[in-house]
Amino acid sequence: MCNACGFPARTGHWTDARLDTPHDRLRARVRRAQVLARVLRPYGMAAHDDGVTDGLILSTLSGASVIVTDPAELWPTVDRLAGRGFDPLLARSTIACL
Amino acid sequence: MGGWLGAGKTTWLRHQLRCGLRAHVIVNEAAGIAVDDAMLSQAHGLTVLAGGCASCEGRTELIAALRQLANRRSAGETVPEIILETSGLADPAAIIATLSDDPVLARHFRLIGTTVLVDAVNGASELASGDLAICQIRAATALILAKTDAATPGATARLAATLADLNPIATLSAAVAGVTVPLPALKAAPLPLAQATRAVTAVTLPIPRGADWASLSLWLSALLHAHGNRLIRLKGVVRTPAGRLLIQTVRHTVQPPEMLPDGLGADDILAVIGDAPDEPTLQASLARFLA
Repeated sequence: MCNACGFPARTGHWTDARLDTPHDRLRARVRRAQVLARVLRPYGMAAHDDGVTDGLILSTLSGASVIVTDPAELWPTVDRLAGRGFDPLLARSTIACL
Repeated sequence: MGGWLGAGKTTWLRHQLRCGLRAHVIVNEAAGIAVDDAMLSQAHGLTVLAGGCASCEGRTELIAALRQLANRRSAGETVPEIILETSGLADPAAIIATLSDDPVLARHFRLIGTTVLVDAVNGASELASGDLAICQIRAATALILAKTDAATPGATARLAATLADLNPIATLSAAVAGVTVPLPALKAAPLPLAQATRAVTAVTLPIPRGADWASLSLWLSALLHAHGNRLIRLKGVVRTPAGRLLIQTVRHTVQPPEMLPDGLGADDILAVIGDAPDEPTLQASLARFLA
């Protein structure tokens, strides 16, 4: 609950289910950033989670960078930075992208 | 609770209430005048929403009614299970999305299931008439064929096969005036539906054992973001170090994953229903995230 406005905060995102301890949550954050970095490379993007920043850092080859704090906003942000829709069903090789 | 206009929703519900189901009933009438409430006098509590269909223009009224129930419970009043009898023109998926998108409701309510009634006599023509009847069936966790006494066993069997085809993961039963009756034991071919609706397939995807939940959930969220519109329902049980996790989605909306007790049913599978990609494509896509 935000003390200033009285609005209840959003409930946790479903991807955080069963991550009960701070240790589990941190490990999942790091793991997610690793996977994202790999799948986003063909789109000319990088993902990084330093464990300190409140969110995941997405950046592009052209230098744009965004901190994603809300997991629900992750894929819309990826689409926006990539300039096209990210499709998990397509296997894009880095070479095809160049 | 959903189902087409006149499918038998109120009749079915009235019987359950008479048999001792304790529930607060919210009735939504698309027509703007409530006639059903007199039939549901045995409910623990009754709210009538007559301001239009809860999946579109009556949305705010539904949210207000549910918030009021949440307030009453917070104030110490006993509020039993809630049954929302939707109007015949409601898309259950839109109502489920409303429940999980509202910050207050998401904390106070948990979706137990979506029961959809299908008229055994008119069901076939409703299915042929358009997408909405099909949307309702695909959103269901339980399908009930009503008024089977008025239809021939052959027609009932054919409709049952069609429903199983449209939504293979929902349970299917039959009822007459709310009393459960057996489904005909006949084998029948599904009804021929329009081409666009035939494109629905169900794919069962095995999840590699020990798949890491962080990567798996990331893949699922990407899949739903990119293809949620054509993946009507997704249901699966995933084994995580903390236990068995039940995942259910209706289009873009994911219900909070639930822990399941050990032992019952299959593990590490994901059923995908909709205009789904084929299994090798899904398999390869998942492998890229899990690698």
